[in-house]
Amino acid sequence: MPPERTSLSHTHPRFREYVVGGVAALGLMVLIWAGSNQLANFDSALIGYAVGIVALTFAIVSRYARWLRMPSTGRYWRRGWQLVSSWESFRALPGLLPRAVLGQMVGQGFIRRRGLVRWFGHQCLFWGVIGATLITFPLVFGWLAFKLEPGSTETYRMFAFGFGTLTFDATSFFGWSMFHALNYTAVLVIAGCVVFLWRRFRDRAVIAGQSFGYDMMPLLMLVVISVTGILLTVSATLFEGSYYDFLVIIHMAAVVLTLVFIPYGKFFHVVQRPASVGIQMYNEINLRGGRQPCALCGEPLAPEQFVVDLKSTFDELGQDYTIDDESAPARHLSELCPRCKRVSRAGGYFALNGSSFAK
Amino acid sequence: MTMERSIFVDPSRCIGCGACMAACRECDGHRGKSLMNLDFLDRSTSTAALPTVCMHCVDPVAPCAQVCPVDAILVSEDGVVHSPDASRCIGCQNCVHGCPWGVPKFDVEEQLVHKCDLCYDRTSVGLGPMCATVCPSDALYYGSEDEVRASRPRRAAVDVFSFGRQELQTGNWMVVPEEFSVLTFPLVGP
Repeated sequence: MPPERTSLSHTHPRFREYVVGGVAALGLMVLIWAGSNQLANFDSALIGYAVGIVALTFAIVSRYARWLRMPSTGRYWRRGWQLVSSWESFRALPGLLPRAVLGQMVGQGFIRRRGLVRWFGHQCLFWGVIGATLITFPLVFGWLAFKLEPGSTETYRMFAFGFGTLTFDATSFFGWSMFHALNYTAVLVIAGCVVFLWRRFRDRAVIAGQSFGYDMMPLLMLVVISVTGILLTVSATLFEGSYYDFLVIIHMAAVVLTLVFIPYGKFFHVVQRPASVGIQMYNEINLRGGRQPCALCGEPLAPEQFVVDLKSTFDELGQDYTIDDESAPARHLSELCPRCKRVSRAGGYFALNGSSFAK
Repeated sequence: MTMERSIFVDPSRCIGCGACMAACRECDGHRGKSLMNLDFLDRSTSTAALPTVCMHCVDPVAPCAQVCPVDAILVSEDGVVHSPDASRCIGCQNCVHGCPWGVPKFDVEEQLVHKCDLCYDRTSVGLGPMCATVCPSDALYYGSEDEVRASRPRRAAVDVFSFGRQELQTGNWMVVPEEFSVLTFPLVGP
């Protein structure tokens, strides 16, 4: 088993970041109060989930604020919002934002190009988790509620934020699906987990670098959540509620534990990954001006803005790759392409080794 | 964070056979991709070749990881700088252009960066990395500093390098003429 990895962003948190997280959690509690018709629609049986989500909000926002303190992250964050809010960017590439969101977040073609089965597994997990979140969170917050229509024993009305919306027959297929939609998402999640667990047991490239806590545990937790969720339905519909209370506790404990660990493990990529939308916009907008040539070979290197930003990031990190030699073709190491960095180093190395290798 | 055994790169011994490139592809963790770099100065006039592996920078620790906006490049307790985590890497290429050694490679299709990880599946269980295991001339040697000093008189192993104003200490070493203790790379054109 490889040793536990250390991460550079595990810097000491600052009080301000906890305050930001606390404000976000408080804001969510206010929204729960307001959206549940002053708690009239709040289901007290789901209080454990609500507490878990409020804690999750605090932890994720605090962690996100700490993450943005990394020089390169903060710089991309600022540049990303500049581009999203820029009229000039929109006019230049009007379809860029929706295209980036569709490509990076929805279709995830970059995963398909890493492997079709991998993409299928990830799509199952992605839509399963998104679906479960969109159903569970509003229910837990009391934003969604179902009530029997007056005088009826089978017709329910759905309330959203206290406002009545559609009605449906609970005995119909649609009605059954409305009350058991989480079973559909659980099947998707289990399918995705099977794909990824299979990879983690069979794919030697994956096995080489994986660790139990970071890679296996999240998948196992999702399986526990999904299987116990389905068993709740099985218990209620086929076995007259046998072991229902026990399953509820196991299910709730698994969900809350998973939620609380989101900011500190594999699942944080769900929060980080949308940054790729900003990166695609940053690249495409800046590439309109072409690439700056490598200072040595003249081949296209990277957009000028990218090189400027990279130098600024190194400045913030306290690393200085400035080249003082006036006769050198570059003023900074970042002005060289990777190959020229290697080849110029080779030239320097062989010059130091004597004349036998020189041209 | 120190590595008990390291790669010692001695380009003066490299015969440019490319065995390291081929062996790198065979490593379980590399999925058929060679993460080695092998560059030639000018094949029409010189036999000189330079194999480049990740030097696993120690101080400052892993510049590639420090410029990564999503913390995708993780450094394990034993000082190994890992290839970017595929679930986190957003393909910004900061590491590709930030690495002073020119090591990371960007896969445009996969939007994913790959870099030498010291064949972690092998070295974490006591085996040598693929490149050094197959190198016929020991231009890439996996072992300890004492072993290299004993077997290569009049040569020195250095792990401190100067890139412009920046000094870097690394986990892997380069073998140089014995008069050098810090290697300063003059910027020489290709």
